[in-house]
Amino acid sequence: MVTDRPIRSTFAWLVVDTFRQARANGILYVLLAISVISIAVCLTVGVSGAESLNIGGDPDDFLPRIDPQVNDTSKLEQSGVVVAGGTLTLGFGAIEVPVARTRSGAVHFLQLLLAGGVADTLGLMLALIWTAGFLPTFLDPRSISVLLAKPAPRWVLLAGKYVGVLLFVLCYAVLFVVGTWLAIGARTGIWTPAYLWAIPLLLLHFSIFFAFSVLLAVATRSTVVCVLGSLVFWVVAWSMNFGRHAFFSATDLAGETLKSPLLAWIVDAGYWILPKPADLGALFYNTLGAGDHFGKLFDAEALAAHGFSMTLSIASSVAFAAVMLIASMRSFGREDY
Amino acid sequence: MDVRLNARAAAVFSKVSKRFRVGLGTRSIVALDEVSLSIAWGEVFGLIGPNRAGKTTLVKCLLSICHPTSGRIMRMECSISDRSTLARVGYVHENPAFPRYLNARQVVEGYGRMTGLPRREVRERAEELLHRVGLADRLNERIDNFSKGMLQRLALAQALVNDPRLLVLDEPAEGMDLPARRLLDDVIEERRSAGHTVILVSHALADVRRLCDRIAVLRGGRVAYMGTVAGLAGQDMQENDDSPLESAVEALYAGAQR
Repeated sequence: MVTDRPIRSTFAWLVVDTFRQARANGILYVLLAISVISIAVCLTVGVSGAESLNIGGDPDDFLPRIDPQVNDTSKLEQSGVVVAGGTLTLGFGAIEVPVARTRSGAVHFLQLLLAGGVADTLGLMLALIWTAGFLPTFLDPRSISVLLAKPAPRWVLLAGKYVGVLLFVLCYAVLFVVGTWLAIGARTGIWTPAYLWAIPLLLLHFSIFFAFSVLLAVATRSTVVCVLGSLVFWVVAWSMNFGRHAFFSATDLAGETLKSPLLAWIVDAGYWILPKPADLGALFYNTLGAGDHFGKLFDAEALAAHGFSMTLSIASSVAFAAVMLIASMRSFGREDY
Repeated sequence: MDVRLNARAAAVFSKVSKRFRVGLGTRSIVALDEVSLSIAWGEVFGLIGPNRAGKTTLVKCLLSICHPTSGRIMRMECSISDRSTLARVGYVHENPAFPRYLNARQVVEGYGRMTGLPRREVRERAEELLHRVGLADRLNERIDNFSKGMLQRLALAQALVNDPRLLVLDEPAEGMDLPARRLLDDVIEERRSAGHTVILVSHALADVRRLCDRIAVLRGGRVAYMGTVAGLAGQDMQENDDSPLESAVEALYAGAQR
C-alpha cells in the first residue's frame, strides 16, 4: 500500500505546478490584467445626484428619469411623485453615465456587468480556453511516463491538476470580485454583500465544464480537441438547457397539451443528463438580484409545473461533473503510455 | 528457454504478453509475447534488441506505465499492483521531457518529493545530484533552454534523487557527451557495488559489454537470448573489441536461434 506522504506530496506539487503552468503560458497575467484594469476602473467610479429611494423615509412613488412622463415635471411634482436621477461617473468624472433610478441601483448595475459580463463570461471563457491545454500538455507520454513511475496512484495526478486549475480560477475570482467590490464600496460607500456570491457561482460554473475538458484530455490528449470541444459542449449544453425551457414554455403559451410525448421525453432526458449553464446563469441572476435591471431568461415558477427545480438542476450538473471526473480517472488508470 | 524465476529478485517477468490495439481496436500489435525472465538484486542487466523488439514496453510494464495483457510481473519482490515499491525505483525515459517552465532544481526536487522523501532531505539530495551531473551552474535556469544531453543528465539526477534500489535506464546515453557518459558508468558501478539493480536498455553494444552482468536480447517481443555477454559473443571476445558481440547480436536480430 502507498503511504499518505507520496500522495500528499504529489497532490501538493501538482497544485503548485498548475500555478507555474498558468504563469508560463500567460493566462495568469491575462486574468491578472483584466482584474487590475477592472479594479482600477472601479476606483474611479463616483455616484452623485439621486439619493437612495425606498430607504427610511424616502417616498415609495418615483419614476426613473428615462421614463417619458418625466418630461412633464410640474405635473409630477403636484402629484408627489419623485423623479429619480443622478450620474454615475467613471474616470473621476471624465465619463458620465445617467443613473436611471437610485445610487445603489446604479452600483448594483455596475456590479452585475462586472460579475456577469466580465468575470462569468469573458473571464470564464478565457479560463476554459486557456486551461483546456493544461492537461494535454501534462499527459504528453514523454513527460507523464516518469510521473506514472512514482508511487502515487494515477487518479492523484488527475485530481491534483483538476484541483490546481480550480484553485487558480478561485484565486482569479476572489481577486476580481473582492477587488472590485472593495473599490466600488470605498468610492461610493455602498456595500452589497450579495455581489460576493459571484465567487462560488463562478467556480461552480467553471468546475462543471472543466470536468468535461478533463475527460476530453484523457481520451484524446489533444489541446485543439479540448479547447474546441469544451466550447462546443458549452454551447450544446446551453442550447439543450434553454431549448428545453423554451419548448415547455411555448407549449404552455399555446395552451396545448404536448403533441409529441416522445419529443418531450427526449428533450427532458437531454436536459437532465447534460450540465445546465442557462440554469446556472439563472441562479447567478437570482442570487445577485439582477431582476431589477435585466429581464429573465425564463420563468422558473411557470416551469416548475414541468418538473423544473433549481436545486435538482444544480445537483444534476454537479453529478454530471462528478461522472466526468470518475470516467476520466478510470480511463486514465487503464491507459498505456 | 529455461528460465528459473526467483521471487526474491529485483524484477521477475513470468509469461508476460502485451498487445496494443491499433486503428479502431480491430487489429492488435504484439509487443511482448510470453516473456519470462528474472533480474537479480545487485545485477546490471542489459536489454538489447532491434527497434520495436519490445524493450521499452517491457520496462514500462515493470514500472506500471503500461499494463501487461497477460502474465505476471513482480517488482522488488512484490506484485506490480503495490505501487509503494515505486518509491525506491528510478527511471530515465528514452526521450526525457519535463514541464519546460520548470528549472532544474524544481524538476529534481519536485519529482523527488513525489517519492515521499521529506522536503529537507530531497532539497539536499537535489543540490548534490545536480552538482554531480554538471548542472550546478544552471540550477535555477528554465529547462526549455537545455540541450538533449543536458536533459539526459537532468533525467539521471531525477532518477537518483530517491536513492533507488532499482534503476531503469532506457537509452540513457543518447545525446550525452563524453564526461556525462563516464558519469553514467560511475553511477551504474556505484549502484552495483551497493547491491542495487540496474536495468539498462541500450543499442550501444560497447556499453552493454562493458557494464552488464547479464543481458537479454529481445526480438519480435520474445526473448531470443538471455545470459552473459561472453556467453553470446563467445570465449574469443577480447577487451575493447566489440566485433564478436556485434556479429552474434546481428545474427540474433536476423533470426538465428540460441
